[in-house]
Amino acid sequence: MQGKITIRDLRVSFTTRNGPVEALDSFSLTIPDGELACVVGPSGCGKTTLLRVLAKLQVPTGGSAVVRSDDPARPTVGMVFQNGGIFPWQTVAENVGYGLRMRGVPPAERQPIVRRWISEIGLERFADAYPAQLSGGMQQRVGLARAFAYDPEILLMDEPFAALDAQNRLLLQQTLLRQWEGNARTVLFVTHGIDEALTLGDRIYVMSARPGRLLATFDVPFERPRDAGALRGDPRFSKLYAAIWDVLRDEVERSREAELAEGVDAT
Amino acid sequence: MQRDRVLSLLSPLLLLLIWELAVAIGWLNRIFYPPPSEVFITLSNLVASGQILRDAGISLTRVALGFLLGGVPAIVLGLLMGISASIRALFRPIAAAIYPIPKIALLPMIIVSLGIGEESKIATIAISVFFMVVLNVAASVLQVDPRFFEVARSFGARGTALFWTVALPGSLPGIMASIKLGMGYALTLIVGVEFVGANTGVGHLIWQSYEVYAIDRMIAALVVVALIGWLATVLLDELEYLLVPWQSASVRIRETRMQQYARTWWRAMRPWSYSAAIIPVLLGACIAAYSGQFSLWLLVLTLVGSIAIQGGTNLINDYYDFQKGTDQPGAIGTGDAILRGELTPRQVFAGGIVAFAVGSAIGLYLVSVSGPLIFWLGVISVAVGFFYTAGPFALAYNGLGEIAVFIFMGPVMVVGSYYVQAGTVSLPIVLASLPVGFLVAAILHANNLRDLETDRASGKRTLATILGRSGAQLEYYLLVGGAYLALLLLVVIGIVPWFTLISLATLPLALRLMRIAGSTSEPLALQPVLRQTAQLHLQFGTLMVAGWIVATMA
Repeated sequence: MQGKITIRDLRVSFTTRNGPVEALDSFSLTIPDGELACVVGPSGCGKTTLLRVLAKLQVPTGGSAVVRSDDPARPTVGMVFQNGGIFPWQTVAENVGYGLRMRGVPPAERQPIVRRWISEIGLERFADAYPAQLSGGMQQRVGLARAFAYDPEILLMDEPFAALDAQNRLLLQQTLLRQWEGNARTVLFVTHGIDEALTLGDRIYVMSARPGRLLATFDVPFERPRDAGALRGDPRFSKLYAAIWDVLRDEVERSREAELAEGVDAT
Repeated sequence: MQRDRVLSLLSPLLLLLIWELAVAIGWLNRIFYPPPSEVFITLSNLVASGQILRDAGISLTRVALGFLLGGVPAIVLGLLMGISASIRALFRPIAAAIYPIPKIALLPMIIVSLGIGEESKIATIAISVFFMVVLNVAASVLQVDPRFFEVARSFGARGTALFWTVALPGSLPGIMASIKLGMGYALTLIVGVEFVGANTGVGHLIWQSYEVYAIDRMIAALVVVALIGWLATVLLDELEYLLVPWQSASVRIRETRMQQYARTWWRAMRPWSYSAAIIPVLLGACIAAYSGQFSLWLLVLTLVGSIAIQGGTNLINDYYDFQKGTDQPGAIGTGDAILRGELTPRQVFAGGIVAFAVGSAIGLYLVSVSGPLIFWLGVISVAVGFFYTAGPFALAYNGLGEIAVFIFMGPVMVVGSYYVQAGTVSLPIVLASLPVGFLVAAILHANNLRDLETDRASGKRTLATILGRSGAQLEYYLLVGGAYLALLLLVVIGIVPWFTLISLATLPLALRLMRIAGSTSEPLALQPVLRQTAQLHLQFGTLMVAGWIVATMA
């Protein structure tokens, strides 16, 4: 099967102060076009490294990671960063329009797209505000709008809601679901929350502790459109949760021991 | 809180009072410790005779030249050092080695190579500023969070785009901080430099006063040095606000209530609109200087008066716009303090009246030294400023805004400023002011063009709503294009010197603005047109003034 994202025997290692670190080793994964794929794994398992390789911010040590481009007019990948990663020196509108500007879209064409996304995330009144004037949740929304306005074929999301409080996370999950259900594109969503993966994903890929490998794949059976709030009451939710946790538990402990042994906080 | 502020005001006053009394009683020797009252009188005499202004002006010129000569290359090299590891490796050791040398120690060496004249003084300041700024700028580029470069690259930014959208804005706060440091350094140095082998400048004044034991004059000069330092801080803070607006939002929390209050008023008076008040005054004075009549003192007074009137107009406008409900919180670019809840409508109104009072007082003084024409120009200007948005027939709401602004912020101001200097007036002066008049009207029209839809909805009748979209776009072309045509004609028929053609350097900006104004009706896209039309007026006007100055000196 030819995937939108095809990863074969990917290996990434870094050199750190404490010697070489294997972030990913013989990692293989194929994600079909239009899937909302969630990757869960213990902290430091190389989830972020995986996204960085796909975004071409990190050169792999071995193996291959191929993203297929189907529409030459659109960028292939776009990324939502861990705590927004929005530029403090740009206003909300400038941040949201950044990707378009880098693509060379002229200001007059950029304006309506930017305005649409700003109203989509409910920040019309803050279009000219700087990030320092926004709350953490609002900043994350700007990061989301920036990636959506860029309109990539594949959206890479790196624990985008991890730093938010429960209510804000629920709201943003809802926004993401609505967007994705309206305009299905390939999304690779990295998270350490099993419930978040169950809420959002079509399929869940479970990774091992470092060096990261693919351990198991779970299909998520919930029909769409989904309601992020109501899903938790579904009995299948808790059964799947338990099954995934069963695979993860040992890995989380292994990753903890490794961290204690090295005394470093891994990426 | 309240009591603490009273105490902090009281303590310096008390100190001055004790000093005064101690001299009066005879505890302190009057010759060594002249009382504050005597220092004040000496200072007033120095101001009146013009000596202190001349010396301060000379010192400031040296600081400014040294600062530019040292600071600008330092910022460029510092940025390069921050971006490129090789350039850093090449220059950092040298810079770091020279940096700790107190630069005043280099003065004798600099005098040996450049002589005792202006060059050596300016060079000393330039060298000191250079080494301080270059290392700080390089460090501030390196401090930009590498995460932001990754974010930019993930959106496809490469090469120069990375520089303009991440490296430069990310290091601007640090660059600003090093500019402030450098300025502080330059101000300390200038006094020391002028102690040695200078015949002018504030430092020389202090040293000369010491040599003749005129302690009162020495203290008066010290007060002036302190004022210059304070002024430099205020101006650099303002520059920081303009260049690094995203930081000021968080910095402002650390300000005292007093500073917040001052800043609130300063913003409420919309200082960025003052180029419209300053350019015509400078132009009028320069034309007068060209015909051989010029007084710096009168120019300063005219400027302050004109700024006060402009500030008052802005405040009164905001008050009435708020009352009439034409500015809504959702509207783009409303810059006023009432909507932000910083000032109450009554405060704004009172502030406007005070500003008008200051402007009128200065105006009356100018009437007494120059003549009655100023009186009538002033009275009419104040009336127009007031009824611009106030009263039953508000000019701005009846399609007369552009014409009023054209006349009163173009010819009337230039002629007034010329008349203050020269005491006469003639048709060529009026004609010479036309290009600036066109552009100032264009600023207002850019505003109305942007607000066309909202103004129409709220029933505000501007020329733009009356003419409709395509008519209003044509009007914008006419106003901007008119400035250039008028300038060319005036040069051809010989009314203004050909040096002023340097203003044509702004033509690319003008053409770009006309293109945008004609191609969109989107308020968000027209917002930069408004801002840049104001810049066009400023740049065009500044160059024209420069042209007159060059023509005067040539």
